[in-house]
Amino acid sequence: MVRVLKPVELIVVASEKGRVTVKYPYQEPLVTSDFRGAIRIDASKCIGCGACVKACPPNALELLESPERLVIRYFVGRCIFCWRCVDVCPVKAVVGTREFELATDRVEDLFNYTVHRRAECRECGSGFATRRMVEYVTEKSAVSEYYANECPECRKAKILNAVARRRGGV
Amino acid sequence: MSESVKRSIWVYHLNTGGCNACDIEVLDALTPWFDAERFGVKLVPSPRQADVLLLTGPVTIEALPKVVNAIEAMPRPRYIVALGSCGVGGGIWHDTYSTIGGVRELLKILEARGVKVDGVYYVPGCPVRPESILYAIALFKGLVEKKVKSEVAYSD
Repeated sequence: MVRVLKPVELIVVASEKGRVTVKYPYQEPLVTSDFRGAIRIDASKCIGCGACVKACPPNALELLESPERLVIRYFVGRCIFCWRCVDVCPVKAVVGTREFELATDRVEDLFNYTVHRRAECRECGSGFATRRMVEYVTEKSAVSEYYANECPECRKAKILNAVARRRGGV
Repeated sequence: MSESVKRSIWVYHLNTGGCNACDIEVLDALTPWFDAERFGVKLVPSPRQADVLLLTGPVTIEALPKVVNAIEAMPRPRYIVALGSCGVGGGIWHDTYSTIGGVRELLKILEARGVKVDGVYYVPGCPVRPESILYAIALFKGLVEKKVKSEVAYSD
């Protein structure tokens, strides 16, 4: 059976044991090396492929598309810190940090944007993919820049034209 | 920060349909190890006694009328602290049929009903760390600086 301590004895035990409360806002936090915090997108490496956007379970990463720009929007307030984006990024542009002190009084502070410029089609001049992605593809595989600089619509039309010519001619 | 809440903050904790992980972290923040009562934080059983509504969960449609009632019952000045990914942005349930998706949608509904809220604090995390909650309290009381800010980066 547990013996109930008298108040005097309690004071003795407490003074021997010392204080357990952390002084947190005035000291270092207790994060370990395994802790997963907010992610950071390195814009100098990012190619705008959207792999992280597809992998993101709560759609914290979103693609905002327009003819001139492609923007990856990261809403920290919806992120669940699973780091799937870190795993799938082909160029290691998404880096996980150990930041967790994300409290704010303005929700606008929680949005981060990575802005890409569109590549321009050689034929019709419209924007498609991103410049960085075209560079990445031509560097990676033996696709000539002649093909890589065309938008998917023009490429499709060209192939259809070629097929039609072949059927009619022969 | 909030000049109108200079004394101890009394907090009414309201789960609006979350998974309870954030609620457990709130309890953890009140244990002797982290001890949120250092800052005068006290959980109260009724919204009528509260300065701050501690909102966890993505606000399900079932819970919405009760949440609005609780906020209407709070005296002015009233503050909302949205905890966790669900509270802030709807989290993993931001586009499901049975939730409205976090405190941002709730604020629109409150504005439409004419219910005023004096300030909203957003605390991301899934679940929030107890230290994150302590940091939010310290930010509320003006003890620490805000660390996050919106960044726009251009690739070229």
